[in-house]
Amino acid sequence: MKVLLVDDSGTMRTIQKRCLSKLGIEDVTEAEDGVQALEIYNSGTFDIVLSDWNMPNMDGLQLLKEIRLLNKEIPIIMITTEAERARVVTAIQAGVSDYLVKPFTPDSLKSKLERLTCIKKLYQPL
Amino acid sequence: MTSTIAGKSELTAEFVNPIISSTISVFEMMLGCTPKRTGLSLKSDHIPEHELSAVIGISGKAAGTLVLSLSKSVGIGILDRLLGITTDELNDEVCDAVCELANMIAGSAKAQLEHLEASISIPNIITGAGHSVHYPSNVSPICIAFDSEIGTFTIEAGFSDR
Repeated sequence: MKVLLVDDSGTMRTIQKRCLSKLGIEDVTEAEDGVQALEIYNSGTFDIVLSDWNMPNMDGLQLLKEIRLLNKEIPIIMITTEAERARVVTAIQAGVSDYLVKPFTPDSLKSKLERLTCIKKLYQPL
Repeated sequence: MTSTIAGKSELTAEFVNPIISSTISVFEMMLGCTPKRTGLSLKSDHIPEHELSAVIGISGKAAGTLVLSLSKSVGIGILDRLLGITTDELNDEVCDAVCELANMIAGSAKAQLEHLEASISIPNIITGAGHSVHYPSNVSPICIAFDSEIGTFTIEAGFSDR
């Protein structure tokens, strides 16, 4: 699985990379903001995007919208401190695949990834 | 006390319990320790208690500032707990770790106050003893003191309505 991990905090990127590594996911490309993430996304191939919301230059919501213009199917998980219902609804309306509120446990990230991987397999041609 | 100042104090007071519960839950989940609240007071100035401040601006129906204030040693301890990285310096990694903790505390607190429709800024770090932090005018910030395995720290906050 190739992951694009977007967060302006190096601490959070390290924490998430370690969670992913424990799940056997080592192919992780990092970006510090939405602008950088979009450039990386357009120049590579990814199976899933994990993105923070509040970031400089381009926030996660705008990044989500930009990626959805290019790809309506790639799983995108918003990992953020924005926990209000209105925010979650906004992200869902913009096309987010799942939502994880910080602070989170490694098991909760694992559950989200497993769910999305399972869904993706259901839609793969036999 | 004028009604305006009283109103602002009430708004700040509304944040107290969410800040306390958020601080405890963030420390427990991210750092594996349970901080204990040791004090709650109104500040007479805008100078945080410790030399390192992670400052978050809050806007929406409540506008103000939240500060995670701690010493260099506590900041270093936070980095160690979060990432297992040891250092003697107040470097970028320490500052980023402290900022992210403040981010989570502020985010969790504002989520408990959905009616305020608050947004939080990206955290900033200020270092140096005696630095001051900006709060809305005529706001007396609260200071919530904690003790933990990593050391003592404060959450300081002040809000006004828009």
